[in-house]
Amino acid sequence: MSASSATRHRPALPLSLRSFFNGARLVVLVTLLAIAWATTQVGLLRGNLINGGGWALVQQFFAAALRPELSADFLRLTLESTLVTFAYAICGLALSLVIGLAGGLLSSEVWWLSHRRTSGSKLGAPWLAVRGGLAVPRAIHEVIWGLFLVKILGLDPLVAILALGIPFGAITAKVFSEILDETPRDALRGLLNGGVPAGQALLYGLLPRAFPNLLSYSFYRLECAIRSATVLGVIGAGGLGYQVLLSLQSLRYGEMWTLIAALIALSGATDWLSARVRQVLGAPTRLEVNLAPGCDAQAAALARATPSSRTLLGLLVVGAALVPLSLLYIRPDFGRLFSPRTQMLFGQMVREMFPPDLSAENMASLLQLSLQTLAMSIFAIAVAGAFGIVLAQPAARRAMGARWPYWLARGSLLFLRAIPAPVWALLFLFVMFPGPLPGALAIAVHNLGILGRLIAEAVENVDQRPMRVLRHGGTPPAHAFLYSTLPMTIPQSLAYIFYRWEVCARETVIVGFVGAGGLGRLLTEQLSSFDYPGLLSTLIALFVLTFVVDVLSAAARRPIR
Amino acid sequence: MTDPIFELHKVTVRYGSFTALSEVSLQVKAGERVALIGPSGAGKSTLLSLLNGSLAPSEGQVRLLGEDPTRLSVRALRRIQRQIGTVYQQFHLVPNLSVIHNVNAGHLGRWSLARAMLSLIVPLERQSAARALADVGIADKLYARTDTLSGGQQQRVAIARVLVQDPVVILADEPISSVDPERSREIMTLLRELCDRFNKTLVVSLHAIEYAYSHCERMIGLRAGHVMFDLPAGQVTPGMVEALYRIRKAEA
Repeated sequence: MSASSATRHRPALPLSLRSFFNGARLVVLVTLLAIAWATTQVGLLRGNLINGGGWALVQQFFAAALRPELSADFLRLTLESTLVTFAYAICGLALSLVIGLAGGLLSSEVWWLSHRRTSGSKLGAPWLAVRGGLAVPRAIHEVIWGLFLVKILGLDPLVAILALGIPFGAITAKVFSEILDETPRDALRGLLNGGVPAGQALLYGLLPRAFPNLLSYSFYRLECAIRSATVLGVIGAGGLGYQVLLSLQSLRYGEMWTLIAALIALSGATDWLSARVRQVLGAPTRLEVNLAPGCDAQAAALARATPSSRTLLGLLVVGAALVPLSLLYIRPDFGRLFSPRTQMLFGQMVREMFPPDLSAENMASLLQLSLQTLAMSIFAIAVAGAFGIVLAQPAARRAMGARWPYWLARGSLLFLRAIPAPVWALLFLFVMFPGPLPGALAIAVHNLGILGRLIAEAVENVDQRPMRVLRHGGTPPAHAFLYSTLPMTIPQSLAYIFYRWEVCARETVIVGFVGAGGLGRLLTEQLSSFDYPGLLSTLIALFVLTFVVDVLSAAARRPIR
Repeated sequence: MTDPIFELHKVTVRYGSFTALSEVSLQVKAGERVALIGPSGAGKSTLLSLLNGSLAPSEGQVRLLGEDPTRLSVRALRRIQRQIGTVYQQFHLVPNLSVIHNVNAGHLGRWSLARAMLSLIVPLERQSAARALADVGIADKLYARTDTLSGGQQQRVAIARVLVQDPVVILADEPISSVDPERSREIMTLLRELCDRFNKTLVVSLHAIEYAYSHCERMIGLRAGHVMFDLPAGQVTPGMVEALYRIRKAEA
């Protein structure tokens, strides 16, 4: 009301400009400008990008796909590596779920409000402290955690578990707290008003209701954990990623294709399992970014699904049994956590880190590299998003039409996401000169595989009725798609893209390790030259960068909700 | 029991600048069946929130079972609240839990956290839950998923939960506004019978005046936060009810 009465007296031109550039349009404009800027920054417009000498290698690489290494010895090695990667993922996930549940409860509003006498009180300092405390481990990618922990703990499976578990735990805590806070509170209130202590009231009134969403997200995290466990392999933790890197560096492409097949099998099986579980649970999307709670698709799926408690219990028992089995397989040395050597090294590292290197020279270079990292992430997500929306359409399951485009699109997406980003970066470096572009492309290709899958699910879950009405009215399929399915899925797709941008910003660091530019390369240099004060300032820059990206992403998602 | 169950002395409740209840004084004695009537926004739900201890008055004094809730520790307040069972218009059940767990939630004030966890895996106190469900007339639904039940059946589950809680007094906040007319009569009759049988006090807010006459012995008329009348049901005339709901000229 006040806005319209205020604008009435303003001159016509600024008014129309103002109303034109509000909300969604402003987001579109800023996004387009950002993509244009990022494109120039990653050097796409510079000439001399392609290293012609590498084409022979690329040809050899793809020719090797036809004759993968299938000797018994190598197959055994592949199986062992697959199990190692899987075991890392399971143990890391288990740790992250423990952290996530505790942290999620403690950083949720509903936990603190249930412990108050009456409703409506403000949240206090403890809540803020938990929230803030979880933001730091979340901003640091698991590979960086890995590199740090290796320095302190030495080479041990324990490093992989902690490197996965700590940042994943912080991410899971954030999502869990959001799920808990969006769960309807009427039943909980009723119990609290009846004099039930907060713990029991949450257990009966809130957790069961949030449980399908919590479990569904946990299975999505399993998919992420498999991918991250592979990447941790690339930095030396063993498993599939490590073997891929070895084969790639020694130019044994036949072996690489065998390992890639194993990666695809592992990743595909996990994704399939996760999708099945969500179907049973009645949580259709693996990731609820921006879905208004209780939206139609979700409510309908919840009503359809009637998971028996036996199914749920079975899932939990299998999941719980996998953890000790995995621990037995990889045998981490928990004693290292408390050994005097660990304490000594940790103390030494912390002492040497302070004070961080804040010299003007270092700050200028940090700013420049931060901008480069930012540009890489924007370029990567723009490419991944554009191709993701296109590839997602055939990849969405549909009742009518030919089956082959569906399988082709699904297969391509699986292939793209099964190969870790650093490996993609190394492949791009065959034919491109080192710099930000191959790194950004690697992030783009890997995330395209993930994003396409997420968007395909959004397309599958969209209300089919408007489409059917148009088709029954004689509209050609493509036209009907343009006027029903596409506009209906665009908000959800954009929300995924912006959300994934946050992930890209973190992942951009890891392609830096293979020399692909940005803050990651600097971090690698500092780690290997024991420049701890410089390292700390780089980490701070990284934290600020992730924070800025998170805020921008959240701001961009709001008007398209 | 000689003390009144509830005692309000000049109680005012404000939400910001809006006064929801002003200078309300009343008592409810053990064994009474009281209906709260009045138009939407008259303060019925606010009054019930005061009575179950989930809301503190802005001014005046509230006594629940002889205690002043604003002076109690959280723990002591819970002990009082356990003696006050509430049934809500929207049932406030967990839809994806079995009925038995929603009924067992009535035990939670007495159960330890460990016991509560255990019971979610292997339901405890099956007999008392089954008995409560039989009392509300849906004995066969013990292991059904709660959201597969009809609205009337879900309200019965909520009443069964209150029976298991075994409070001194039952508050009901428009318990029949979400069910059809046929179910309304059944639910009201069930509430009255259960209160008689288990010797419980009942305070119920209602929009359907006929049930206030037929199922309660005392009526409190609220309008814009003021008590307009507080009389035995037999003495409330149709004119008084009409005055309660009439749109004031100044407002129109």
